[in-house]
Amino acid sequence: MTTMVATAPAERAAATRRRGARFRPGNIGVGIAAWVAALAFFFPVLWMFLTGFKQESQASTDPPTIFFTPTLDQFRSIFARDFAPYLINSLTASVMSTIFVIMLATPAAYALSVAKVGRWRDALFFFLSTRMMPAVASILPLYILATNIGMLDNITMLSLVYTAMNLPIAVWMIRSFLAELPREVLEAARIDGASLGTEMRRIILPMIAPGLAATALICMIFAWNEFFFAVSLTSTRAATVPVFLVGFITSEGLFWARLSAASTMAALPVILAGWVAQKWLVRGLSLGAVK
Amino acid sequence: MLTPSLPAPTATKPRQPPAPRTLTAGERWRLRAPLLPALVFAIALTQVPFLLTLYYSVQSQNLLRPGSKEFVGLANYGKVFTDELFRNAVFNTVTLTASTVILSMLLGIGLAVLLDKKFLGRSVVRTLLITPFLVMPAAAALLWKTSMFNPVFGLVNWMLSPFGVDNVDWASRYPMPAIVGVLVWQWTPFMMLIVLAGLQSQSPEVLEAAKVDGANAWQTFRRVTLPHLRQFIELAILLGSIFIVQTFDAIFMITQGGPGQATTNLPYFIYQQAFRAFDVGEAAAAGVIVVVATITIAMVALRVISNLFTEESA
Amino acid sequence: MAEVAYVNASRVFPGNPPVRAVDNLELAVADGEFLVLVGPSGSGKSTALRMLAGLEDVDEGTISIGGRDVTNVPPKGRDIAMVFQSYALYPHMTVAENMGFALKLRGVPRTRIKEKVGEAARMLDLEKFLDRKPKALSGGQRQRVAMGRAIVREPSVFLMDEPLSNLDAKLRVETRANIAALQQRLGTTTIYVTHDQVEAMTMGHRVAVLKDGVLQQCASPRELYERPANAFVAGFIGSPAMNLKTVPLTGEGAQLDGVVVPLPREVLDAVAAERLTEITFGVRPESLRLVGADEGDAVGRAFELTVELVEELGADAYVYGSARVGDRPERFIVRVDGRTPPAFGQRVRVAVRDLDEVHVFHPETGERLSG
Repeated sequence: MTTMVATAPAERAAATRRRGARFRPGNIGVGIAAWVAALAFFFPVLWMFLTGFKQESQASTDPPTIFFTPTLDQFRSIFARDFAPYLINSLTASVMSTIFVIMLATPAAYALSVAKVGRWRDALFFFLSTRMMPAVASILPLYILATNIGMLDNITMLSLVYTAMNLPIAVWMIRSFLAELPREVLEAARIDGASLGTEMRRIILPMIAPGLAATALICMIFAWNEFFFAVSLTSTRAATVPVFLVGFITSEGLFWARLSAASTMAALPVILAGWVAQKWLVRGLSLGAVK
Repeated sequence: MLTPSLPAPTATKPRQPPAPRTLTAGERWRLRAPLLPALVFAIALTQVPFLLTLYYSVQSQNLLRPGSKEFVGLANYGKVFTDELFRNAVFNTVTLTASTVILSMLLGIGLAVLLDKKFLGRSVVRTLLITPFLVMPAAAALLWKTSMFNPVFGLVNWMLSPFGVDNVDWASRYPMPAIVGVLVWQWTPFMMLIVLAGLQSQSPEVLEAAKVDGANAWQTFRRVTLPHLRQFIELAILLGSIFIVQTFDAIFMITQGGPGQATTNLPYFIYQQAFRAFDVGEAAAAGVIVVVATITIAMVALRVISNLFTEESA
Repeated sequence: MAEVAYVNASRVFPGNPPVRAVDNLELAVADGEFLVLVGPSGSGKSTALRMLAGLEDVDEGTISIGGRDVTNVPPKGRDIAMVFQSYALYPHMTVAENMGFALKLRGVPRTRIKEKVGEAARMLDLEKFLDRKPKALSGGQRQRVAMGRAIVREPSVFLMDEPLSNLDAKLRVETRANIAALQQRLGTTTIYVTHDQVEAMTMGHRVAVLKDGVLQQCASPRELYERPANAFVAGFIGSPAMNLKTVPLTGEGAQLDGVVVPLPREVLDAVAAERLTEITFGVRPESLRLVGADEGDAVGRAFELTVELVEELGADAYVYGSARVGDRPERFIVRVDGRTPPAFGQRVRVAVRDLDEVHVFHPETGERLSG
């Protein structure tokens, strides 16, 4: 973030200025190809969005209805079907788990990158390996445990599971931000008389704040979209938005417009968040390895 | 670009303060303290359940018949290994993962190369292209199952109708390609983003040097860019595989593992054993097998990741 | 204000075998002195400074500041300030906050901090930038903020770790003078690390030359130049470097391409005591001169050089040429008058200007043999 990202785009900009002084027809071909691909990839999402504003009769027609008068009927009917609790559950699980994750991961990442405790490499790879372990391996005991302690269909339980799920990502990501802190700045702080706590509060946290925000966002995205644990561990009280969507596959029917409206609402927060956080996305998805 | 953040263990640069000489046990624990909560939490929520799974896998237990628990040794494993359905699930998982990873990587490289060029509206194109990855997988699956794959009103058939395709029920006639199609649509942006980051980390001077040396565009890509991209591609394939092996949403929503067992992969198989048949023993045994297989593969993969980091810092 | 002493101080990096980054350093710095640590990269000069700062452990020996043993004192208890090569400014703080941070941590009242920061800013011409973040400053301005941060503390010792190496050539020369003047004015003991021997010679009251973690010589710039303690210091200090050649010995002196350069009696005695047949012979480019064909007597004491390259610097020119020493060709550098340099390929005759300017070193240990 500090040197690499700061210099790389500048270099590239300079290079493209050198190269792109003369208008090149080749770029039009590239542009057209890229736009066609982008529209093709985006089209299903757009269609979902549009269908949500249709009447049911317009949603499934042959040929597909392209021009129509938008209506909010479907959105209304979804809320009438008690969509709100699912939304609240999703929000609770994402926010709670993200807060837990950041609180647990930040000190751990500090110990593993700045303080460099013994066997820090092993610890890092241990965290990574927990993310590699298939969820199916832990679902049964978690389910049985939750049943026994009466925490099945409980939003706190789900949040804790999401915390464990996102912890490795957060540790790796925050570690990568901490690793970028110039060592000399921390040394300067120590010479200036900062204690460990002051160093953390006044120097380290302000400097990695954007990184923490990015990490939190990535964790929220993963938690919001999570399906397997939600379906296995919740049913009614703690069910999240993805579980709400499951209702549409059993009631089959042809409520495509309503289903699209629900999908749109389910997907929209993450789509918007992802668009905003585009430049952090790669970093989060690659566990901080790729900038 | 890959961060040079994991230094090789042997690299003792004088700038890097090595471990302090002698620490008392107390000091060492004080240093380690910030790590402990996360470590304990991760162990409690991932390792302990796995140990329990191990325990369940040698018991015969059915949640529908409480008190039916008894020690059966490796019988569950025997059952799993001779289970036609389990082998089918293994085969499906491999097919699904391999085809998705390969196809989305190829598409991803193509798109990344396009996006690395300058053209009008590049950032909008990039934004549109990453969207499929952001859509909640359950919602995406629902969308494809209905609006896209429906035999009568589906857009896929409508788009293909000029080519003589008519009323194909994709999800039941070609279930595996349909699932792979959805997953490729979802995962191409992921591959693209990582490859694009790789392309953009390449110094323009190197490309100019290749040009001066007389390489044409293809030669430059093949001989200069691709070798540079290798580690990015490896990383993307590795991480992609870890996630795609665990695919559950799309199968649950679109085909429910069917028709028959045509799209039942391992996660779905275990889910069925556990939550439909309530056969805890067999589900646990299958779970253990999956973990052992994953860890074996992940060991190799981890070494690759580890090398990625050390190479970079060397 | 304080003096600094390294007493047999060593830093050993664990490894196989362990690396002695700083080896038995014995160095005393007087109160108010400007001492420069210089050496090639990997010589341990930065490590030595960081040991003094408390950023690096002292594995053997002790370090004291102002008579107080600080070997095991953490950085904040040592009353030092440090200027880093990268400046290490806090990116999220303004210039004023950067400079006042240490005082704030010490609990100095706000108004007093403001006063001190203002004072330092005036001294360094930073008043206009006090509310800016480091990102919005030029390299030279950042460097001055780093200096300011150190000054505001009023420490007993300044530590500077290559503080000029990120500046461009012109600014470096300017800042060099400013730092020296500032130190003069404040009179604070300063330890300054650099790899640039020009910086070392121009700034330091005394210069300590390190190599492979071992102190080679610590002396005033003049002394270092005129009486280098060994062949390494001789070759390291001075640009272009001293001509250092291993040459055979005869009864009266050093044998150079048929010419014998006479050596002082005490050197010959020392050589005889060691039973050496060869010595390392050193002579600076300005201690050599071209001998005209008409100089008669001098011609006999000159050796022949084939010109391979002439570097013209205006006032002076440096002639690079090869001469035979024993049975192999050796390259010599000679400073000549810039107005009449010889041409490429020309054969010229070269003589030592003054026999007092000849340095003789032990061929194996490199120790100085001449007085």
